[in-house]
Amino acid sequence: MNLFMQAFLVALFVTIAFIDSHTTQIHIFRPVVVGPVVGLIMGDVQTGFAVGITVELMFLAVIFVGTAVPPNPTISTAIATGIAILAGGGTDIAVATALPVSFIGQVAETVQNSVINVFFMHRVERAAEKLDTKGIVANNLIFPMAVNALLYGVPTFLAIYFGAAYVQGIIDAIPDKIITGLSVGGNMIGAVGFALLLNSIKTKKFWPFCMLGFFMASYLGINMVGIALLAVICVAMYYYFKIADAKA
Amino acid sequence: MEKLTKKELWKVFLHQLTIRGANNYERQQNAGFTEAMMPVIEKYYEDPEAKKEAYARHMEYFLTNDITSAIPVGVAAAMEERYATEGDIDPDSINAVKTALMGPLAGLGDSLLNGTARPILAGLAISFITSGLGWFGPIFFIFGMALVSLGVRYLGVFQGYKQGVKFVEAIQTSGLISKISDLAAIAAYTIVGGFIPALVVITIPLEYVSGDTVLSIQETLDGLMPGVLGLLYTGLMYWLISKKKISAIKLILVTMVVGIAGTYLGIFG
Repeated sequence: MNLFMQAFLVALFVTIAFIDSHTTQIHIFRPVVVGPVVGLIMGDVQTGFAVGITVELMFLAVIFVGTAVPPNPTISTAIATGIAILAGGGTDIAVATALPVSFIGQVAETVQNSVINVFFMHRVERAAEKLDTKGIVANNLIFPMAVNALLYGVPTFLAIYFGAAYVQGIIDAIPDKIITGLSVGGNMIGAVGFALLLNSIKTKKFWPFCMLGFFMASYLGINMVGIALLAVICVAMYYYFKIADAKA
Repeated sequence: MEKLTKKELWKVFLHQLTIRGANNYERQQNAGFTEAMMPVIEKYYEDPEAKKEAYARHMEYFLTNDITSAIPVGVAAAMEERYATEGDIDPDSINAVKTALMGPLAGLGDSLLNGTARPILAGLAISFITSGLGWFGPIFFIFGMALVSLGVRYLGVFQGYKQGVKFVEAIQTSGLISKISDLAAIAAYTIVGGFIPALVVITIPLEYVSGDTVLSIQETLDGLMPGVLGLLYTGLMYWLISKKKISAIKLILVTMVVGIAGTYLGIFG
């Protein structure tokens, strides 16, 4: 596959992923899916998995809450994975690219919500006044989803198709130690995601469960599937001993 | 006139999927809510003026979590049906009920979906990938999230419609939301604690040499408490975010700088 075709397919996948994030939300737009899929298109699935994992951990929690648009993980993972593979498969480079690129998505989405969709919403309103059901669907669904191709697909295509030429030169100029350092930092980045997640929990009195989970994994070496089952047990115990008992 | 059929409720479900379609800062999910109510309004209102009024009602401001918004969609469907067929409720109460559900359901949706289900499924997908199962990881994640996203919407539309206004009373009087939030908090805490040793990795390659004995700092730490550095670093990040109000973006950048500086100094690696 030539670079044009690859950039086109990645852009197409990014567009579909954004449509999913604006409608069905089966979450194909998350880094853990986008990384491997872009890896498959670009011919290096292993790098795709590695980048997907790191960016997923970076964006594990929602960075902003409420109506503010957070930096976007979808376009970030797609471009970072594409660039990393074109540069010869270093995940370290991807980590450095992912954060700045996520702001492209944030800017595009802010424009979408504050200008483009306000325009379409008023068209929905006019269609409703004329009792035009087709007009409601066209302006609430069809047109806004088509705009996703322009806002997210096109920048992705440009970044991968034209970015490749510059990447190698930039990477050659970066000292090896910085590259190693980026991967060391990448392994620690999950701490920020977890901290955000902890910060989003409102009932702080349940913090001992955090310690319980940690010690089970740390001292007993229980893997992550085991930890998920432990969480189910903790929830069930609290439900039966506290909530169900209070009702009886 | 008869009640909404299963088929018509499925239509509401499909149109509810577009709740975020023309999501906008002026009135948020209003256009999506209007599209979701289309099958109901088209069925029950014959008179064009009454129909226009019904559409205009749902073009008002509406904002909650995309997925849990299926509940007010179901409740509003029941109320529109009641108003159009019996006429014994105040049409203004439809928007009042929607507004009353917005806040609690936004909180519930965010904590259950973004704060619990998604990080748990993503964490598991990551652990499947790192243990060599490859594509099983992302596929498991998509199936899990599809079940959550479409399952909650299905229950929201069908149960919201069936229970109608009773649903709102149940939420407001039984403390249902705070109980579910408690359970979500327990799950989230257990998961975060349990995932830290595998996903926040910090290694110190320094060794302390005295005569013939070589003391590896990392081995000593592992002997005391495996993964302790990851726990401490996460704790530090948490303190900076919650108490010092430092933005996550800054902390991501700082973490990368710490990684690079640590590598240069030979502390981390």
